[in-house]
Amino acid sequence: MNLRLLFRILGMLLVIMAISMILPIAVSLYFGDGSQFGLALSALTILTVGLFMRNFLGTKATRELDMRESYWFTVAIWVIIPLAGALPYLFTSSTATFTDAAFESFSGFTTTGSSVLVNIDHAPEGLLVWRAISQWIGGVGLILFVVALLRRLNEGSARLVEAEFSGTLQRRLHPRMKRSVMLMWLVYTGLTLTLFLLLMVGGNGFVDAFCTALSTVSTGGFMTHSAGLAGFSRFSMASITIFMFLSGVNLALLYGIFTGRWRSLFVDEEARRYFIIFFAAVLICFLSFSLAGGFSLHSLGFSFFHVASTISTCGFFTSAPSVWPATVSVVTFLLVFIGASAGSTGGGLKIKRLMIIARYVRNYFVRMIHPHAVLAVKIDNKVVEEQYVGRVFSFLFLYLLLVVAGALVLTLSGVDIPNSFCMAAANIGNLGPSPVFDNLGASLNYFALPGFAKWSLMLLMLAGRIEIVALVSLILPAYWRKNK
Amino acid sequence: MLSCLLPAIHFADGTVVPIAISAAITMIVGMIFVTKPFSNYFNHRTQMSTTRKHSETSNKRMAYVAVALVWVLLVLFGMLPFLLTRSTTSVSDALFESMSGLTSTGATIFADVESLPPSILFWRSVSQWIGGFGIILLVLAIVPSLHINKYSLYTAEASGADNSGKTTTSTRSMVRQTLAVYLCLTLFFIVVLRLSGMTLWEASNITFTNISTGGFSIYGDSIARFTPLQQYILAASMFLGGVNFALLYNLFTFKWSRLKNKLDQFGFYCAIAFVSVLAVFGVLRVHHELPWDEALRDAVVQTLSVLTTTGSVVADTTLWWTPILLMFLILSFCGGMAGSTTGGIKIMRVLILFRNVGNALLSRLHPHAYNPVRLNGKPVSNDIITNVMVIFVVMCTTLLFSLLALLICGVESTEALGAVFGCLTSYGPGLGASGGFGSYAAFPMVAKWICSVLMLLGRLECLTILILFLPGFWRK
Repeated sequence: MNLRLLFRILGMLLVIMAISMILPIAVSLYFGDGSQFGLALSALTILTVGLFMRNFLGTKATRELDMRESYWFTVAIWVIIPLAGALPYLFTSSTATFTDAAFESFSGFTTTGSSVLVNIDHAPEGLLVWRAISQWIGGVGLILFVVALLRRLNEGSARLVEAEFSGTLQRRLHPRMKRSVMLMWLVYTGLTLTLFLLLMVGGNGFVDAFCTALSTVSTGGFMTHSAGLAGFSRFSMASITIFMFLSGVNLALLYGIFTGRWRSLFVDEEARRYFIIFFAAVLICFLSFSLAGGFSLHSLGFSFFHVASTISTCGFFTSAPSVWPATVSVVTFLLVFIGASAGSTGGGLKIKRLMIIARYVRNYFVRMIHPHAVLAVKIDNKVVEEQYVGRVFSFLFLYLLLVVAGALVLTLSGVDIPNSFCMAAANIGNLGPSPVFDNLGASLNYFALPGFAKWSLMLLMLAGRIEIVALVSLILPAYWRKNK
Repeated sequence: MLSCLLPAIHFADGTVVPIAISAAITMIVGMIFVTKPFSNYFNHRTQMSTTRKHSETSNKRMAYVAVALVWVLLVLFGMLPFLLTRSTTSVSDALFESMSGLTSTGATIFADVESLPPSILFWRSVSQWIGGFGIILLVLAIVPSLHINKYSLYTAEASGADNSGKTTTSTRSMVRQTLAVYLCLTLFFIVVLRLSGMTLWEASNITFTNISTGGFSIYGDSIARFTPLQQYILAASMFLGGVNFALLYNLFTFKWSRLKNKLDQFGFYCAIAFVSVLAVFGVLRVHHELPWDEALRDAVVQTLSVLTTTGSVVADTTLWWTPILLMFLILSFCGGMAGSTTGGIKIMRVLILFRNVGNALLSRLHPHAYNPVRLNGKPVSNDIITNVMVIFVVMCTTLLFSLLALLICGVESTEALGAVFGCLTSYGPGLGASGGFGSYAAFPMVAKWICSVLMLLGRLECLTILILFLPGFWRK
């Protein structure tokens, strides 16, 4: 096993983490919130461990990497980095237990946005900034971070990225993996900066603007106030909604906007479906709000906001109209499963996969009547290979299996069955606060759950974020068998 | 051709005889009015659907329509006893009950079953028995004879891949075998239950509903009032009802050498049953602190009832711990073995699903390895895997959308979840008011219609019905 390479990657990520903690420390010094020592201590710890790993354990790493290694590398990285990211919560005593700290950190890095912090309004600003940064780092995937930095890892980098995205990232920006990853980062950073500036212009404080911008573009969903985004101005809300919507689009397509190839947005089949689903959902929500509580601009705005927040798996909430019809909950629930486009920062089943499955099922029906018809699944006029369809199916199966398993664990902790399904689906879909059927809105905090339920939710978030396959493969005995 | 006629004759036998008995017992004139045209017309339809098959596409279309129509007509005529005897005045209630009977679901609309006249009770039991009968015939004989090949998961297994050339002979003998098993089991359990102290009335009713994995009862508390011995016997009948009938036939006729190509599925079925019984037993013992004997009995009977999608209830399950109830939902979704009377997606499909997923995962690591899904050591054909995946997806989608439809109708979420699982998997009881000894009486009317449709979809494994509603289906 190529442990040295793993240590090298981990070491680099840890060092990056430590460096990125300078900003939270600065913020905390500026506001005098008392968290600077905890943050500095965790930064130092992470830096030391990181440097040790990089410079002692990770020297002379070979750059060869096969598929099997890339799988468990991915999982190892995704377990260790969030665990390290839990240190600031512990050292600033923001959470009482290690479990809570780990939950918050996992939720951040996986861009889920489920929170166990009970008193966000009084949380130290430095920590809020750190939460936001952890989401942003996790947003396009930890591996992408590394790939951009490691030299001479072309073939291996493709494998790692494949393991992290399980094949949804088909549209490359550039023939060279590394170059396309750099371009993705460019788009990502550009979007974040734009939103940040817009929010500053919209009259928000630095912490609010910074954290919310990072949360939005990474589709994380951590918020800086316990009332959600209720205190934000109309202008800010509108820009957040637009950026949530954009975050659900394939990053490669967004890159096209910058380079003038924006027309591909409307040619790409998945993006088209995304738009259709989005506007249909908004329309349904708005109509049912109007039927239930009368026509108002607020409910129109809220419909846009709510649908964008759910479909991009961002998971922001704000003050909702007082009457919440069943139809809206239903639409929300569907959107939780559907999720965003493949290649975006959002989670869920992904529209592309659902399209493949829907077309496959449709072909099957046709063949029930015309048994000799030869039909292939096509996306964007390209045939999707049978083997790939099979993988998509197994993805769907595993996804549902994990939702059910998660729900089972949640019922053990006393949650009722429908809500446990919602919670499990919301966490594996990296949405965060889960839509609840019979109560309005969202169950906003996971603090009350017992430890084992929190750990299994973390597992779900992780599975959702690294697209299940790498994680589940590890438990197959055949995976570990030597192939000679 | 001959083999196609066989099921029709068998079917007519199956419907006429029990109804004649019921008529004799009840002497309700309305019943006789119902049965005559009903059985004749049904017979006629079946023949029509089975004899016409020449030009391929139009015929396939006809076949799907016929299969759907047969069930719908059967159910419509099955409504008449309820309506004519004034057991219920609402059409949607009668439809629900009749559908629940003939699809051997076991969800009931009657809050107080015991106030119903015996004739109606018997009709409910018999309808389930016919339903169990009907589904076997449909899967075994009618569907293969219509050459809806992709559907014939069961025949593919039962007859083995090698003798696909002589489907006609194997179909005929298989139908015979299966019906023989079904009849023998029914008789056997009636006798055994009678010997264990039930009256003949109880024994026959309960056997009819349990061997068909239906789950109606003549009592408001389902099977809770019977003695432990009787309940264990019922558990055995449910368990056998969930076993592949061809396997049972070979077992009883000592053709054990033929058993080995079904052992994979049977082993998995037993394993699931054993593990889940153990889990339920543990919970009942530790969490509910029931005494040993009661915990064991409740666990065995109730878990088997769920796994085989019967729907008989041995204790007030609504009071049981939530994880167990969720586990029951999952179990009922799995269902019993293919080629039995159970609902759900069938154990065999679950097995194939798991193996296929494992293979798909490994295929990423070894993209060029030849590693087919195997069942009993033999590779499973791609058609079957496709069928399994498609049915799984379609079932899940149906589940999801009907759940949402019920929510929009204003059904409370736990109830709605229980109801969609109960109806689609043909288990029957749901959660909350419709679970345990309860009934679906309080559901809004639209919700009852949705549930009725769900039962039909679940029984025919969705595809056969859904295809009728595809826009391309009626096009030339």
